[in-house]
Amino acid sequence: MGVLSKLYAYLYLRGFRVWASYRTQAVLTMLSWVLPVFTYYFTGTALGNELVSRLGTGNYTSFFVVGLAFQGYVSSTIATVSQRLRNEQLYGTLEYYVLSPSGVLGFLTYSSIWGFALNSVNAAIILAVGVALGIRFLPSGIIAASVIAALLMLSTFGIAAMSGAVVMVTKQGNPISFFFSTFTVLMGNVVFPIAALPWYLRYVSYTIPLTWALQGLRGALLYGEGIAQLLPVIGILAAFAAVTVPLGLLSYRVAFDRARRDGTLSQY
Amino acid sequence: MTALVGPNGAGKTTLLRILSTLILPTSGEAYVDGMDVVSRAAEVRRRIGLVTVSDRLLYYRLSGLENLTFYGILYGMSVSEARSRARELLDVVGLGKWGDEPTMHYSTGMTRRLAIARALIHDPDIILLDEPTLGIDAVSSRRVRALVRSLSDGRTVVLTSHLMKEVEELSDSIYVMRAGQVIARGSPSEIISMAGRVVEAVLRREDVTPELSKFVVRDDGETVLLRAPADVVPGGAIEVREVEPALEDAYVLLAGEGGSDVRPYQFRRGGAHVRGGPV
Repeated sequence: MGVLSKLYAYLYLRGFRVWASYRTQAVLTMLSWVLPVFTYYFTGTALGNELVSRLGTGNYTSFFVVGLAFQGYVSSTIATVSQRLRNEQLYGTLEYYVLSPSGVLGFLTYSSIWGFALNSVNAAIILAVGVALGIRFLPSGIIAASVIAALLMLSTFGIAAMSGAVVMVTKQGNPISFFFSTFTVLMGNVVFPIAALPWYLRYVSYTIPLTWALQGLRGALLYGEGIAQLLPVIGILAAFAAVTVPLGLLSYRVAFDRARRDGTLSQY
Repeated sequence: MTALVGPNGAGKTTLLRILSTLILPTSGEAYVDGMDVVSRAAEVRRRIGLVTVSDRLLYYRLSGLENLTFYGILYGMSVSEARSRARELLDVVGLGKWGDEPTMHYSTGMTRRLAIARALIHDPDIILLDEPTLGIDAVSSRRVRALVRSLSDGRTVVLTSHLMKEVEELSDSIYVMRAGQVIARGSPSEIISMAGRVVEAVLRREDVTPELSKFVVRDDGETVLLRAPADVVPGGAIEVREVEPALEDAYVLLAGEGGSDVRPYQFRRGGAHVRGGPV
């Protein structure tokens, strides 16, 4: 009951009601979900899908559609949490989360869930556009894809917490959010196959949970691979989550304690 | 009802934030109802409701009802409980008619009353109010003061204010602060009595020493009107008239700053805005 009420508060009231009240922004956001699909579709067509396929991607359209659909879970959620914190500082409402029994951990958790919810719509739209472009997703891989997506979200939650911790200290200018919103498209196996990257960048790519998640998601959704076949990817993502979640929560807590000690909770 | 008064930078807001657990004390200890604000912060938070001073404080795109419902849920209420409590509080603060309006359409006074309603959402025993009437018009101030007065029924209220009339009207006890220290405490009448016998005196400008500058209420260029305790007014005043002491007189005496560079600002039409002597 408590969780449902909080989902109503965070997802419907503070999330959807506020988001939808900025209609122009809402329309532009939805356009920003769909337009890159066509951009990369025509890029693939112009460059020749065959050339890209030689890098071991299979069909390039299906490659980037899955990449774009799930990349938002990482970049947008991390940006959402840090932007949310910054907004609350500007509104003067952050202190009221600290005072409430929900606390700042509740704030982090439900803000992340809002990010995930918004990106689930984003992912569904992009996958639907993919279907319209002729991609066939295999239902047999849905369970494995769900497990991989859940682990991706868990590790993203940890990174979002670290990003929130940085915002609490720097107020503006967030390298974590910047990295994940900018470089993941290039290096996260999203629209460029890792094989297309210079060798030294591949090692950076391997340190990003999204790289592994997309490999698994493509295997599951496009080739119908099950949990057993994707166990190595699932193990790597679980390891990422085991590191990022405790590290994220610790840094988030330290950042809030520091803000309380320095009296900078409401500064922006 | 306790009031914290003092000049800007005295530490009033910092003290309220320490008591509400938002700031950790750098030294010393602070207790709310016997509970250490550091080691028992969660319990303290359940007991207090805070109203901070800010232009915003709420989700402007949401209605008053939605704002209060949101905070009610943060305090562990179900959606229906929070909504019902929100409606009840909107009536208490006189915003029942505007509950469904987005708060971006609220006046500053209405926003302030809604902020007070938010502090009451979990029915706390202690309310901390930081300058509750700052920046709102006289009629709205009166409504907010009436609301604040009604809060003290069965609760402890601690407020900060720069308006001495407001403090005198509302509070049972007053703490005067300066530079992070409490320099005087007592009931309004006890604090007022610290001013002793108060006079209004007209002096020649050259007779006003820097130490007296905090008592200046009018400066005509050649003569200066002081309102000060009788024993600080120098001899040779052009005119002296005894007046009824007010809280502001005691406040200026206790917390006001004097000194060589603290002279009243003056403005002359067509001239510059200057500090100190005649233009």
